[in-house]
Amino acid sequence: MADQFREPIVERVYTLNLGPQHPSTHGVLRVLLDLDGEFIVKADPVIGYGHRGHEKMGENRTYKQFLPNASRMDYLSGLLYNHGFVLAVEKFAGIEVPERAKYIRTVCAELNRISSHLLWFGTYVMDLGGFTPFLYAFDDREHILDILDRVSGSRLTYSYCRFGGVCQDVDAQFVDTTRSFLKRFRSRYHDYDNLVTKNVIFIHRTRGVGVITVDQARQFGVTGPNLRACGIPYDMRKIEPYEIYDRFDFEIPIGTKGDALDRYRVRLEEMEQSCRIIEKALDRMPGGPFWNEAAAFKVRPPKGEIYFGFESARGQTGYYLVSDGTPYPYRCHIRVPSYGNLHVLTEVLRGTMVADAISILGSIDVVIPEIDR
Amino acid sequence: MANKDVMIEKLRSMLGDDAVCVDDKYGAGVVSAATAPAAKLVEALGVFKDTGFYLETMTALDFQDTQEIVYHLNCFEPMSRMTLRVLVGHGVSVPTASGVFTAADWLEREVREFYGIQFEGHPDPRNLLLPEDADYHPLKKDFGKVHAYRTRDEIYG
Repeated sequence: MADQFREPIVERVYTLNLGPQHPSTHGVLRVLLDLDGEFIVKADPVIGYGHRGHEKMGENRTYKQFLPNASRMDYLSGLLYNHGFVLAVEKFAGIEVPERAKYIRTVCAELNRISSHLLWFGTYVMDLGGFTPFLYAFDDREHILDILDRVSGSRLTYSYCRFGGVCQDVDAQFVDTTRSFLKRFRSRYHDYDNLVTKNVIFIHRTRGVGVITVDQARQFGVTGPNLRACGIPYDMRKIEPYEIYDRFDFEIPIGTKGDALDRYRVRLEEMEQSCRIIEKALDRMPGGPFWNEAAAFKVRPPKGEIYFGFESARGQTGYYLVSDGTPYPYRCHIRVPSYGNLHVLTEVLRGTMVADAISILGSIDVVIPEIDR
Repeated sequence: MANKDVMIEKLRSMLGDDAVCVDDKYGAGVVSAATAPAAKLVEALGVFKDTGFYLETMTALDFQDTQEIVYHLNCFEPMSRMTLRVLVGHGVSVPTASGVFTAADWLEREVREFYGIQFEGHPDPRNLLLPEDADYHPLKKDFGKVHAYRTRDEIYG
């Protein structure tokens, strides 16, 4: 009789499969969550769904043939990856670049950074339940895509930068539309601030949520806005100045607590800093050739290796190239920022609630195909 | 004194002067490159960690005569990236560094699946990017189409 009244055996911890095609996660991220009620006991990101073997492809293609691959790793900041790969090979093979090309590349790269941050802004606020800012952000982003589409011929996966310059010169219309975009974007910026940053619901969903400490950041190799939100002004554009970033006066926005709200603020402020860079670069853009075309056809770096680090929209990115003296790289490894930024979630998500997990995932801004390569 | 100078001194006293080469011009994107024997690997990475470095990335290289693991370490100071290299023969395993840097957990899983290098004592040796049942190592030079398979001396000699 006693058996009848025994409590049923209940498994306290159960597993929830979040993704890979869940509407509130990004790309093809799948996270196995072990839950105790609504609290996360363990989070295990399952990745690799977007693995295409870019590194293996790199070994079988010449440097020039690999160029289109670069922008397909992180498709939201494709031009930055394209730019970085070109810079790495130029430094490795000792290719001279005309001044004008450097300015054009910087303008386009910063435009791409703004478009990537805008997409993040829109989707993040949508994750938290606000639909309107998403439409505003995509409207602004569309302007950037149009500007870049006109000069490069593609909307997302750019191969605009070439070894020794860019493939096509920019004209007066490019300068005009970019300037008018900046003007328009800055007026919209205040709307974003009023709509989202001061929104009470938004603040409650982000303040104190998903705190990453400096020590955790160092352990997991977190970089980019997520690291800067912890209060460390670490940006490759300042730390290891490449291209012409040392000629511009811009600030590195930092946070204090390292929570989701700080990460949000850092990214928003970064867009304004990018605007400043673009403005000055347009003012100072010299005339002259835009492509050292002769150099682009005989890329043959000397034997040895190079590591080239640059700042993509998500953080510190690097190309590690090993050359055997032929036009084919012997090894082409890519350090991607989302790798560490996603890995740190295994620790940050522990002990938080599922609803906060969505907020944290969004605030980290990961692009999964970049990790999968 | 900057972290990188402290680190270079520590590496020199630990691995010997010959094993550490310094490049102030930052030509290859690193300020110094050191070669460590596998037995001293974890100790060396521990020193990096205590000096304030983080593990930026790690990868492996496949040569006819040997394999090599390359660690890139960096700290939050200007121009201070460093390389730590360790030679591992084909089929030889190395101790895991995941106890020192948590980042090495995933990075070692990736190197293991793509190169077949085993890391002794790794807490979670599953595949990371490849399917669970993948029994091939795609980045080895004997897999698929490759342009060249060289010995280490042909590139670094």
